Amino acid sequence: MITGNFDYFAPSNVEEAIKLLNEYGDDCKIISGGHSLVPVLKLRLASPAVLIDIGRIKGLKGISFEGGTIVIGTNTTHAEIARSAELKKHCPLLVETAGQIGDQQVRNRGTIGGSLTHADPAADWPAAVLALDADIIVKGKGSVRTIKATDFFVDIMTSAVKSNEIVTEIRITKPAQPQAAAYLKVPQAASGFAVVGVAAQLTLKDGRCEKVAIGITGLGPKAYRASTSENALIGNTLDAATISAAAEKADTEAVDTMEDIHASGEFRRNLTRVYTKRAIMAAMSRA
Amino acid sequence: MKVEGSYTIHASRDHAWLLLIDPEVISKCISGCESLEEKEPGIYNITLKAGVGSIKGVFTGTIRLDNINEPEHYRMIVDCKGSPGFIRGEGSLDVIESGDGTIVNYVGDVSVGGTLASVGQRMIQATSKMMAGNFFAAIEAEAKAWQKAEENNEPYKAPKHGFFRNTIRQIKNKVTAQPY
Amino acid sequence: MSFLAKYIGQKVRRTEDPRLIQGIGHYVDDIKLADTLHVVILRSTHAHAKINSIDLEAAKSSPGVVAVYTGKDVEGRVGFVPCAAALPDLKVPKYPVLAQGKVIFVGQPVAAIVATDKYKARDAADLIDIDYDPLDVVTDPEAAVQADSSVIHEEFGTNIAFHHSAGTGDIEAAFKQADRIVSEKLYHQRLAPVALEPRGVLAHYLPGEQQMTLWSSTQIPHLMRTQVALMLGINENRLRVIAPEVGGGFGSKLNVYAEEALLGWISMQLKKPVKWIESRRENMTSTIHGRSQSGTVEMAVKNDGTLLGLKYQVIADMGAYLQLLTPAIPTLTGLMLSGCYKIPAISMQCTGVFTNRMSTDAYRGAGRPEATYLVERIMDCVALELKMDPVELRRKNFPKPEEFPFATATGLFYDSGDYEKSLARALEMSDYQKLRAEQSEARKQGRYLGIGVSTYVEICAMGPSIALPAGGWESATVRVEPTGKVTVMTGISPHGQGEETSFAQIVGDMLGVDMDDVLVIHGDTSIVQYGIGTFGSRGLAVGGAALACALDKVVAKARKLAAHILQTDESSLTFENGRFVGAPNDSSITIQEIAQAAHTAHNIPPDFEPGLVATHFFEPKNFTFPFGSHLRGRGRQGDRRGQGASIYRR
Repeated sequence: MITGNFDYFAPSNVEEAIKLLNEYGDDCKIISGGHSLVPVLKLRLASPAVLIDIGRIKGLKGISFEGGTIVIGTNTTHAEIARSAELKKHCPLLVETAGQIGDQQVRNRGTIGGSLTHADPAADWPAAVLALDADIIVKGKGSVRTIKATDFFVDIMTSAVKSNEIVTEIRITKPAQPQAAAYLKVPQAASGFAVVGVAAQLTLKDGRCEKVAIGITGLGPKAYRASTSENALIGNTLDAATISAAAEKADTEAVDTMEDIHASGEFRRNLTRVYTKRAIMAAMSRA
Repeated sequence: MKVEGSYTIHASRDHAWLLLIDPEVISKCISGCESLEEKEPGIYNITLKAGVGSIKGVFTGTIRLDNINEPEHYRMIVDCKGSPGFIRGEGSLDVIESGDGTIVNYVGDVSVGGTLASVGQRMIQATSKMMAGNFFAAIEAEAKAWQKAEENNEPYKAPKHGFFRNTIRQIKNKVTAQPY
Repeated sequence: MSFLAKYIGQKVRRTEDPRLIQGIGHYVDDIKLADTLHVVILRSTHAHAKINSIDLEAAKSSPGVVAVYTGKDVEGRVGFVPCAAALPDLKVPKYPVLAQGKVIFVGQPVAAIVATDKYKARDAADLIDIDYDPLDVVTDPEAAVQADSSVIHEEFGTNIAFHHSAGTGDIEAAFKQADRIVSEKLYHQRLAPVALEPRGVLAHYLPGEQQMTLWSSTQIPHLMRTQVALMLGINENRLRVIAPEVGGGFGSKLNVYAEEALLGWISMQLKKPVKWIESRRENMTSTIHGRSQSGTVEMAVKNDGTLLGLKYQVIADMGAYLQLLTPAIPTLTGLMLSGCYKIPAISMQCTGVFTNRMSTDAYRGAGRPEATYLVERIMDCVALELKMDPVELRRKNFPKPEEFPFATATGLFYDSGDYEKSLARALEMSDYQKLRAEQSEARKQGRYLGIGVSTYVEICAMGPSIALPAGGWESATVRVEPTGKVTVMTGISPHGQGEETSFAQIVGDMLGVDMDDVLVIHGDTSIVQYGIGTFGSRGLAVGGAALACALDKVVAKARKLAAHILQTDESSLTFENGRFVGAPNDSSITIQEIAQAAHTAHNIPPDFEPGLVATHFFEPKNFTFPFGSHLRGRGRQGDRRGQGASIYRR
């Protein structure tokens, strides 16, 4: 379990990091918390010639608020999010999701930006950022892009971040009814990764569903919004029959499913439907 | 592991076939293909920098084509290895006319070994599907470029003079020469 | 003898712990010798393949690389990895320390790269190009016995390693008399033992002295010394094996592996210390696995629940090669097929088969948990079939306390037991009747509540020598130093069990000395007399008994000297609390004073051998048979559990 050789850079600002990225191209990888990359390096499933450690760049870490927008720096660890009192008040879905990632050691080191960029199909964050309709801010050489969460996950382990770009922050509009949210998942026994994970954020008005966003991870090669289910809920009174009927369609968007020793594709579809129902019920009960 | 799928290429079957059998086009359309050289008739040495996300490795090995039945079918035998593990397998491609497009059905049996297989098991199926999708999308882009070139009466080089056609001829000759 | 239990049975602090929890103990990797070279082993990525060629050129010229070895280098120079288990007509394949021409499991050692540090060795491993020709793979033991299966060891022409029958009683009659026969197909899945500390070896050969020291993370330093000496063709007494701190074993280190002899041989070639530390990945692929049996169990019963006979037909997965005890493990399943029940006839038909996987061998209980599972499972099936309460079915078939020692149809004598008592305790703790009532109430509402019960007996304190290939005795030496401090040398090799503490407790009470005055030495073959090791729940039961016997000898010798010094008869003296008392003149003498007198030897009886040391090799007459009951149910108040304590009696 020894990595291959690599050169290591620890730039002090984003511009310097981007310059290095452009200089080394395909041969380099960005490292921050290292909880996705280091295992891969130790197994020599990747042997990049250069590592660019953005973990020491000031200003990429922390949770702040700009009016109605929550801003989370890319280097913010899962643990920091899990214990944020401010987020618990304004966006508890993030707190609930962060608290279910891996174990305490993983949460202490792993970062939200790293996890998103890695785009593991079983990661927890994709479900949450989809359900919160987050914007992901990406910097390149002389450019800044905003990628919508719905455009961010391209395919298995493939995000919309180009190889010469860096995720700098995640921006989320404060939900109207922050507490009306839930992230429920079936964890893999050993790693805690989601066999299936469902995040839901609701806005209820006069007993009706005014707005809902459902993010699903684990089922397919990439996380997605369960739009069919969402449409079956919006404008309706959320009684048990409506929720059940909507949840039955939660796997509609998934063309391909993941299949592994933890669960077959068909079982994952079933879990998706069941957990979507439970997530909506939980979000409602918390509203 | 079984891999199978289907992809519709918006081009004539003849175009699609010629693209799918030309090593220059293939090497251009397999992302990460660093070299594809003919070792002996029908057998090619390949160097491939392949991977998904952080996982990336250099694979070297051979690709062999046989059972070529122009313009609708061939079989491909792959034997590659690299530091993350090895990939061996065989598959067949059926190229079928369908309206104004062409459907390519592929089915294969692939075994993956080494570290790649033991820790990346959950990723392999989806990754191979993605790579196949990328490959056919690139073939389709080539087909479109070709069509556009024809429409504009411009030359489109890559597939027309592929040395694969000679190969096919050679193989065919060899096959017909055999006593059965 | 009588003694005051100042330590035994009392809560004492473990003497091992301060160094372990501070991280200042010494495991193999903590032992650093000057000029040590580091070995990385390149392993097969194929489960079954012919090796066409191995290209070492790039690796050999890689920076820091000192040597690279393959199967060709060790062929005829290093012996085969040993299998000590003996069964009639057992096929034992030759198991080379580095693969020769062929690999038959993923993780099989193919090449050893030696470099100035482990990082350079690891880098060079990537430069070795092996051309494999894959062969058909068979990983399913049931498929391995089929006629169309590929054959792993061509020299045998079959994947069947052995057939083994066990059990006594008229099984056919039992099945004829039965009102019902209940059967079930069961799988015991393969598993990988994961000790916190993986394996590791440091070998240091001194060519001048012609002596080798081998540090290995093992449970059996003495047996390893014998085996590795044979593999390397060196005299056993010139090989010193040291098991330093060992971070867990669970049976996986009750073995002699390719790496131990290989490292020793490399050190002899290069005349330098060489070290290999297993990675966690290697630990999963190349350290023995456990279990892997698939079989059908059948129970013949009367309608009233009386058990008549049990048949177990099983295919046991050996893996690719036979390690030290591989084929013996399923035979232990056969021994325990009676569970804690009276079953007049028992028959096991076992077929051991080779598969393209790492060898199986002893892992936690080693064959016996398999027996417990299958017996308990079939008991539940029988209860279901007869619509009997599974607790009642068990009770009905327990041997009563007065029936012990109880002879089973598997050939064992259970020395003692009171199964009813431990079950009653579990039922009481879990409020069993109430659980059942809640369960039937829930059923009416369409809900299912599970209640699981298991009563079991284990075979521990391995064991009488007849039952083990290398003997089942254990040794202890007690040396009372001139200052009265006590040194114990035990043949067991604790690796987390805490015998440094429990043995000091025994010495403390039996010699009446302070626990802190006791040093327990183990795991060094040059210091300790030959021993067997730690496995099969034997450390305290057999090793502790050896210690008690050695202590008896020490006290007897001390008594002789005490009587001489106090000028009285031995018979008038009583040894209590570290002191011989009862002399007519009321004088007394402590064990420490005796120790000094025994060493100065100025005032000893004429026939008295100076010094105060005794060794005992203890041969147990039987195993021990601890037992217990577990009950778990989910009631209205949530999880409820009951456990009946195991009661040990000797």
